[in-house]
Amino acid sequence: MEPVDIGIAVSLGMLVVIILGMRVAFAAAMAGLVGLVWIFWAKKGYDPDQFFWALTVAAKTAGQVPHSKVASQALSLIPTFILIGYLAYHAGLTRALFEAAKRWFAWVPGGLAVSTVFATAGFAAVSGASVATSAVFARIAIPEMQEIGYDKRFAAGVVAAAGTLASLIPPSAILVIYAIIVEQDVGKLLLAGFIPGAFSAVVYTVLIVGIALLWKNIGPPVRGFTWGQRFAALPPALPIVAVVVIIIFFVYNPFGDAWGTPTEGGAIGAFIVFCMAVYHGMRWAELKSALLETAKLTVMIFTIIWGVLIYVRFLGFADLPGAFAEWITGLAMSPMLILICILLAYAVLGMFMDAIGMLLLTLPVVYPAVMALNGGEAVSAADSTFGMSGPMCAIWFGILVVKMAEFCLITPPIGLNCFVVAGVRPDLSVQDVFRGVAPFFVADAVTIGLLVAFPSIVLFLPSLAG
Amino acid sequence: MAMRASVLSDDTLLSRADRALYRLEQALGLVSGLFVFGLMLLAVYSVGGRNLMNEPVRGYVDWIEVAMPFIAIAGISYAQRDGGHIRMDILVGALKGRALWIVEFFSTLLILLLVVLLIWGSWAHFARSFDWAAPLFSRDSTIDIRLPIWPAKLVVPLAFSVMGLRLVLQLWAYGRAIVQGTNAPVAVPLIEDAATIAAREAEAVSGERED
Amino acid sequence: TEWNVSLWGKRRAFTEHVEKLAELVSEKTGGEFTLNINYGGLSKNTENLDGISIGAFEMAQFCAGYHADKNPSITVLELPFLGVGTLEDEIKVSMAVYQHPATVADLARWNATLLMPSPLPQYNIAGVGEPPRSLAEFDGLTVRATGGIGEALTLVGAVPTSVTSEEARQALDSGIVKSIAFAPHAHMSFGITEAAKWWTDNLNPGTVNCPVVVNTDALNALSDAEREALMSSIDESMQHYVDFYENETMAKWWPMLEEKGIETISFDDGRLAEFREKAAGPVAAKWIEENSARGLPAQELYDLVIQTLNN
Ligand code: NA
Ligand code: NA
Repeated sequence: MEPVDIGIAVSLGMLVVIILGMRVAFAAAMAGLVGLVWIFWAKKGYDPDQFFWALTVAAKTAGQVPHSKVASQALSLIPTFILIGYLAYHAGLTRALFEAAKRWFAWVPGGLAVSTVFATAGFAAVSGASVATSAVFARIAIPEMQEIGYDKRFAAGVVAAAGTLASLIPPSAILVIYAIIVEQDVGKLLLAGFIPGAFSAVVYTVLIVGIALLWKNIGPPVRGFTWGQRFAALPPALPIVAVVVIIIFFVYNPFGDAWGTPTEGGAIGAFIVFCMAVYHGMRWAELKSALLETAKLTVMIFTIIWGVLIYVRFLGFADLPGAFAEWITGLAMSPMLILICILLAYAVLGMFMDAIGMLLLTLPVVYPAVMALNGGEAVSAADSTFGMSGPMCAIWFGILVVKMAEFCLITPPIGLNCFVVAGVRPDLSVQDVFRGVAPFFVADAVTIGLLVAFPSIVLFLPSLAG
Repeated sequence: MAMRASVLSDDTLLSRADRALYRLEQALGLVSGLFVFGLMLLAVYSVGGRNLMNEPVRGYVDWIEVAMPFIAIAGISYAQRDGGHIRMDILVGALKGRALWIVEFFSTLLILLLVVLLIWGSWAHFARSFDWAAPLFSRDSTIDIRLPIWPAKLVVPLAFSVMGLRLVLQLWAYGRAIVQGTNAPVAVPLIEDAATIAAREAEAVSGERED
Repeated sequence: TEWNVSLWGKRRAFTEHVEKLAELVSEKTGGEFTLNINYGGLSKNTENLDGISIGAFEMAQFCAGYHADKNPSITVLELPFLGVGTLEDEIKVSMAVYQHPATVADLARWNATLLMPSPLPQYNIAGVGEPPRSLAEFDGLTVRATGGIGEALTLVGAVPTSVTSEEARQALDSGIVKSIAFAPHAHMSFGITEAAKWWTDNLNPGTVNCPVVVNTDALNALSDAEREALMSSIDESMQHYVDFYENETMAKWWPMLEEKGIETISFDDGRLAEFREKAAGPVAAKWIEENSARGLPAQELYDLVIQTLNN
């Protein structure tokens, strides 16, 4: 068998064991290890005397990956962004945000759900991880919605979907990962996520109001807050604005030099939220539980990262990415159609893969293809296929891909956000959450369609930054 | 998969071993969390030093790279014990009783095989960077301030070894569940449905004891 | 025979000799012996030496400064102010060190045989803000510089700040560092020239040394014809590399400086001598002391470098 055939065979095998219920990170790592043994042994003509040699080389090659791939400064943003999420919960920020959003917006049909979306969008501006955001709001928003008679599945769906906003609205761990893989400016990418993130929130809101108008019993409005109560709810939520401003200024300062790197911005943001949490009464017991939660979510994400990267290492030896790139650039289709097919492929792939794993796995192949479709990395807007320069195309595609990856966080069977919401709320099964989140697929499809049709939604802010 | 699956306990040797190991795993999880916290403080110190004293931390990136494996890997067994590593449980979720425990047993056995091979490989990775005869025992160092890398490499086979113990314990527990044909085995994370059944059974059992 | 070759990044001036080598070897053996070049898929660049040692691939490129403790012997080539003028000088001095028994033994621990260098021109500093026109003006200048170059700059009062090469541009934009030390092709590929206002044309504090190595067992397993095809292609590949760097990369460099309006800061001989005196000696002395403690004939290696350059 040629290496490429081995690549395809092992990949199919991996999908089978994942469907059979093996934990994804280990299934990917095992596929990588088995594939490496196969490749090395094939190189020696399947000589039985050489099997142990092949096993040794494969084990040692795979054994490098966990340390070598996680020892990365760029990836250190991920635990920091997760920690912010848990600390903000203890700082009372999430509750304050939710309370303010409730008093201002709960009067519309589906009001509490709309408030949840707005509060989550606000929280997204300090939290870099969708999963952590969903986990936090599952604790706060779902019980309140259930109390006034919301369908519990719908309530869970709102939280799972709104959590995905955290990865578009900066700070965002996944945008950082994209920037690192494709070697583009992290700051501009983070900046580019703002408007599409806010835009997604608006589309979710429209959808919720529509659903609440159609089915009166799903989300009754909450009325009766006075203007005094509304304004009184603002100050407790205000500190979040300070944190947001600081994190933004670390990435992009419209008045001069930025204050630092995104890595530092994340850490400083975490520190401010930590101080607020201490002020708010957090003591060692709460800090310890926040650290343990951060550790558990972090190790889960990183286990997938290195597991998938063992598989990716094997793909490197099998040269599957090269074969794929050749195939896709040779297609006789219009570039826009190819781009849409790529996005659809992400939707399908995302059904089976974790968002970060999916990006890590595919971008080395897909990104150069997309850049080539546009006319190359250095193309000017005038000469390009999609009407934007190479760097702008990198940003545009990044936001599209991250939005797709976020979409995958709520699609079955491996929608991480839904699993987390179900995990936090013992009364909800994963199936309940998937049922509740289904309407938001439509909202996301609409958002992605509009981002493809009107790239300026994405590119407006980064083009201001020069 | 739920982030906090329920794990039943009783006073058998298996369950006591489970809880003993869990204490070690929690300690490693806390190590990971404390390193995240340390990373945050390091950034504050670095930014502060740069802006207030024009004296940035030398080797800031090197420290991060050495810290990351502690953050990302030390708690791997902690997550495994609580069923925290994600998977698709649509198919296995439909299974019950012995059939479920047999599937879990083999899936755990495969992971154990993988982990044993990775302990071997990651130990070799560590061993290449470690030398009794070298200054600071170092045969591999960071780019900027030349910190020895071996401690960060050593944490991987150590964490994987704890993971290996956990997997052996889970094999024992699943094996016992297969033999006994129970719906409520101790020391393993239970899938949602199974957890509900188990809770009901536990109630029934304790009710009987009170009589 | 098919060899896997682990490089990283993209095909660029820095990898042209390996590309040429692959072409020549395949030509000479009528396709019997092929080098399968892979950019980044087989290993992380800091672990190419590990991959060679394991036997995962047969040929790789790496830079000595990525991991001084893995290859202390060749870090002598990264000491500041050795006085290397041209790429030919860099090749000559590299090959001399590569063939020294202590170096051969150092790399033999990795089951690796050094094949050829990837000569880079001297690093120079590009930056924003007020340019350092004299030695005194380096005081307090934040600079992204690693290894021996960073140490040399410390001695004149500069403040080295570590950021990765990927974060270098961001660090410059955000004011974390005011300046970056790179070779010209890296200044261009990491976008430093998009932001920089000045460039030190002749500070020439040193460079990095990035050899191409092969797995010794794999080399020994080659047939005589294959080995001959490989070894006889090295000189031509190196020549191709030098021509490419000088005719393609540097040909772009000078007009680019002009076009972007980047000011060229030149230092007169007196100032350079002053800098050399302050930095070169102490850093070299420290290197010799530390590596003698490792059991390396450090003084001998250092003398070899100086002698080779003086001849
Ligand atoms: Na965010
Ligand atoms: Na999914």
